[in-house]
Amino acid sequence: MADLNDLPAEPRRGFLPIHTNTFDRCFIAVVLFVAIHLFWMRFLEASLSLTVATVLSVIVGAIVIARG
Amino acid sequence: MRSSTVGWLFLAPTLVILFIFGVLPFLYVLVIGFTQWNSFAADPTMQYNGVENFRRLVFDEQFLYSLWLTLKFGFFAVTSQILLGYFLAQLFMRDFPGKGFFRTIHTLPLVIAPIAVGATWRLMLVPGLGPIPYYLRQWFGYDLNISRYVDQAFLATVVMDVWHWTPLVTLTMLAALASLPKEPFEQAQIDGANRFQIFWHVTLPLLKPAILATVFIRLMDALRTVDEVWMLTGGGPGAATRYIGLHIWRVVFPKTDYGYGSSMSLITLYLTIVMCWLLYAGLVARRDLKRVD
Repeated sequence: MADLNDLPAEPRRGFLPIHTNTFDRCFIAVVLFVAIHLFWMRFLEASLSLTVATVLSVIVGAIVIARG
Repeated sequence: MRSSTVGWLFLAPTLVILFIFGVLPFLYVLVIGFTQWNSFAADPTMQYNGVENFRRLVFDEQFLYSLWLTLKFGFFAVTSQILLGYFLAQLFMRDFPGKGFFRTIHTLPLVIAPIAVGATWRLMLVPGLGPIPYYLRQWFGYDLNISRYVDQAFLATVVMDVWHWTPLVTLTMLAALASLPKEPFEQAQIDGANRFQIFWHVTLPLLKPAILATVFIRLMDALRTVDEVWMLTGGGPGAATRYIGLHIWRVVFPKTDYGYGSSMSLITLYLTIVMCWLLYAGLVARRDLKRVD
């Protein structure tokens, strides 16, 4: 059984203006994923498909998790 | 047996209960949020419809208006409660005659059920019956009518919420103020700091965790307020006090549009979490980072 101390919670500094651990960066990625989709549906979907938003969100999320 | 295994065993009952009553209902709402499900529609079965509910709600003027009203309500109510709660806590830190009695009276609103608070305020404010509009008209010639005037209805809901929940903030602040160490204040006084400087550079930073926790609790409560406002104004006049909780209730129960109501609930939850996180990141994490650097 995993020990709570084994979880990857070590804070680090990336391009985000705060120290974050893996959970923080995943959380920020999910928040951005939802925000980008809602924004896209409201303002851009008439001209660009929602799939573009999904691809963009996944890329942004990956960058945040890897470099944030 | 390893200590971590024992720890997990102790945690297990709580985790099971949390999973059944917290995680499972959330997952259920998450699933329903992506479906078309209206028990009185031509097809009352639950059918997956992708992001259609979310696409609908970003253009739903009533939903967006309710959201804006709720944010406005949350801002005014929580700010007032924090300021008033802090000043009352400072007052209770001093000795004065009847302090114990006043403190007891002051915390009484906390034990009253929200529905009873709404009913009481309605009885006090309803035009033609309540004493407050009567005396305001008699003494000042002021026409208070929460059934007619939009601003007055909004203000009444804010004042009612402040009356009900300020004691909670006061108690939290009081506990935080009582637990502050004396040394930093003595050092600041020796350094010649005035009262404002002591408040700004010593008291406020030391109280920050308590203030932040209280703001989180009150903000979450304010964003999901339903019963008090329902009793006081019923969401009116028009839609002037139809906060997001009331709006979701109208969609889910009278209109039985479960799928759309669930998607609105999810977005409300999302916004609540994001606002609390932004507050935390802006006030705590960023400042801690500066300290490290």
